[in-house]
Amino acid sequence: MEKEEVITAENLTKDYGQGRGIFDLNFSIKKGETFGFVGTNGSGKTTTIRHIMGFIKPQKGSVKVLSKDAWRSSCEIKKDVSYIPGEIAFPDLKDGITFLKNQAELLGLKSLDYANYLIKKLQLDPSANLKRMSKGMKQKTAIVAALMSDKDILILDEPTTGLDPLMRETFIELIFEQKAKGKTIFMSSQMFDELELTCDRVALIYNGRIVDIADVNELKSSTLRTYKIEFLQKTDYQKFKRLSYKIVRDQKQYNQVTIQIDDSKINRLFKTLKNYKLKFISEIKFNLEKHFTDILAKQLKGGE
Amino acid sequence: MFFSKALFKQSMKANWVKWLSVTLATCVMLAIVIIVLGSLSINDIRDSLKNVFTQADQEAELKTGAIDSYDAYLSSVEFENGIVTLTSNTFWDGQFFSIKDTITNTYDQNKAAYEQQNGAQPEGEALLQIQAESSSQVAASLYQMAGSMLGDATEADLAQLVNILILTYENNPTSFADENASTIVAAINAQYYDFVYQTAYDQSMAEEGATELSATVAASSAKQIAEKGVGAYVPSASFDISSYKAGAQNTVNQMLYDQVYGSFNITESSTDEERLEAQQNAIAVKVISNTAISTYELWLSEGASVEDARIEATASITDQIDLEVAEALSELGNMDIYGLIIGSIFYRIAGILLPMVYVIMTANGLLAGQVDSGSMAYVLSTPTKRRTVSTTQMLYLLVSLLAMFLLVTAVSVVSIWIVGGNTFAINFGEILFFNLGAFLTMFAFAGFCFMCSAIFNRTKYSMSIGGGISMFMLVCTILGLFGSQVVPAAMRIDQMNFFNYLSIITLFDTSAILAGGFNFLIGFGVLALIGIVTFIIGTFVFDKKDLPL
Repeated sequence: MEKEEVITAENLTKDYGQGRGIFDLNFSIKKGETFGFVGTNGSGKTTTIRHIMGFIKPQKGSVKVLSKDAWRSSCEIKKDVSYIPGEIAFPDLKDGITFLKNQAELLGLKSLDYANYLIKKLQLDPSANLKRMSKGMKQKTAIVAALMSDKDILILDEPTTGLDPLMRETFIELIFEQKAKGKTIFMSSQMFDELELTCDRVALIYNGRIVDIADVNELKSSTLRTYKIEFLQKTDYQKFKRLSYKIVRDQKQYNQVTIQIDDSKINRLFKTLKNYKLKFISEIKFNLEKHFTDILAKQLKGGE
Repeated sequence: MFFSKALFKQSMKANWVKWLSVTLATCVMLAIVIIVLGSLSINDIRDSLKNVFTQADQEAELKTGAIDSYDAYLSSVEFENGIVTLTSNTFWDGQFFSIKDTITNTYDQNKAAYEQQNGAQPEGEALLQIQAESSSQVAASLYQMAGSMLGDATEADLAQLVNILILTYENNPTSFADENASTIVAAINAQYYDFVYQTAYDQSMAEEGATELSATVAASSAKQIAEKGVGAYVPSASFDISSYKAGAQNTVNQMLYDQVYGSFNITESSTDEERLEAQQNAIAVKVISNTAISTYELWLSEGASVEDARIEATASITDQIDLEVAEALSELGNMDIYGLIIGSIFYRIAGILLPMVYVIMTANGLLAGQVDSGSMAYVLSTPTKRRTVSTTQMLYLLVSLLAMFLLVTAVSVVSIWIVGGNTFAINFGEILFFNLGAFLTMFAFAGFCFMCSAIFNRTKYSMSIGGGISMFMLVCTILGLFGSQVVPAAMRIDQMNFFNYLSIITLFDTSAILAGGFNFLIGFGVLALIGIVTFIIGTFVFDKKDLPL
């Protein structure tokens, strides 16, 4: 049985002119899914998120959250949606505690137990003055403010910016926790690795258009491996090239080839290589970043 | 539900320091202005200036009265001489009664002719017309008959005399018909006094600002003088009016002296000081009267016309300076400095400057500032409607403004009470309307700034349009003050009044409040309307626009 669709974008378009904006976005996120959104600065990530939050009105198309129109039912959908904005600016209040308490009041939250759990987990000092907080502390405060209401849908706009590597780990742990609770998460980022780690699917947005939506699990289970090999001697290099390996990249000047090979054939490759003098051999990990860079490169070439 | 308690609390926490400092500063300024002004006598100069003008007006009035009386005295002497000439002159001897008949016949005939022509008895203007015509007809024929026998008298003199005879006949036919000459003369004299009374009364009433009472007083004293003049007459064969002038002047001077002295009600039990004061006042009046009459006579003897001589003799200090300067000084004397400083300067400019800064900053911070920084995202990512956000923020702005002005009002009322309550230049009612007007002005500005804050996503636009236009209007009111009527003419540049048309603060008319009446309420209504409309537009725009959060 198909799972319930939680967020659906249909032909979502907002044209700000001069090629800026988002154009004909289509995607749908199912219940319990973690959906990543990756792209360069100005590619339209935040604009898409603002549509989901109902802050701006689509020019064409629509976004539905739990089958309610995000613009018209902006207020109702907030009962199920939490949000970490991309730009962290707090209301003009004294300190973190005041802010979180005020936020809890706005949310109609009676218990702050979960908030306290989050504060402990993120090692946040909420009594600090809001204005004097470091970027990382502000980000932690924003994370607590968003997660404390324990809602079913999380919209996170670059939630890890400003966090140190350790805290990033903690945050990813938190995301796993949320996933385990069955929450639907929409998360934008510029970091491929953290999306690869946490997301079920990741969409690449480039110049306001979704270029590709990759299934991370599928990518991970792929059996194709890529190796880069450099030979010490030109003769070896030429000899190797004549063999029937699939060469994806050939760099004559370094006596270097990059080949792609299935897991099952790896023993044969090493047997062959015994007879060659190598400078080095290294595996190029095939990951999300590589996947998207390849697709973008292909597209740019095709476009020209 | 269009109200969020949490958001209201958040706005209060974010703005209370601003609110408190602005409120305290405004209250302190107001208290200082009222109490300091109340304990100083800044109106002293104004009052003494006003005194100068009042005294000058009184002096001119006194001089006019003196000359009127002097003239009345002399003409009554002439009149009496005319009567005596008519009754005792050798030429007229024995003919007085036939002259009398000629007068009555001519008058009766003219009246009958009128009645035949118009089918009604002549009345009012028509009757006066017939009297004038009849008297000049009779006078013309008498003058021809008498020739040089009448001495200096002209035909016009004779006509005036005949006119009095006609009036005597008209008003008192029985005594005029008497065959006894002295009875007739008495009737003529009585009629003459009434004539002098009526002439003086009409003259007084024609003057600017004259009242029924002052005209009656002036007329009575002229009549009194006329009686004196007639009584003083000793018939003489060679009549010369100039020999009566000194007597006339003395009589008038003495009579004014007596009147003023009498007004002090000096009795046996009066102290020496009271006597002295009455005497000094009476002498001062006598001197003024004497000067006026002497000046008058001097101008006449130099060949000036009666009108010119009169103007010169009655001139007071205000007539001796340039008209524009006199008007400027007179306006300065009438200027209400308290009204100017507390009304036009404090409540329309100085006192609303800080509240305006508060309104500009707060209105911006309540919407546009939070959208610009992005902090609005935290409110709107909770189940809070945009309409709830805008109405809650609007309510905060209004409630804080109302609280501010309630405190300012309390301070103003207490300050007025300290400096004397309703005996102070500005009473409780007026100060309450000042506060209401200032609040409504700020209400209109708050609405406008709130609308700008709702329309724009960027602080810089919201501030430069909302704050910029508000400040521009305040500056226009400052410049416009120099062209408004509350500033005395000496300092006023009328062209500057143009600036008042550029500012909605002009709708808050403090001088109209001080002037009484309720016309200023129209301006109050317009200000309230501006506030309501802009607040409504603001909430609607905020509901529909894209938010970059």
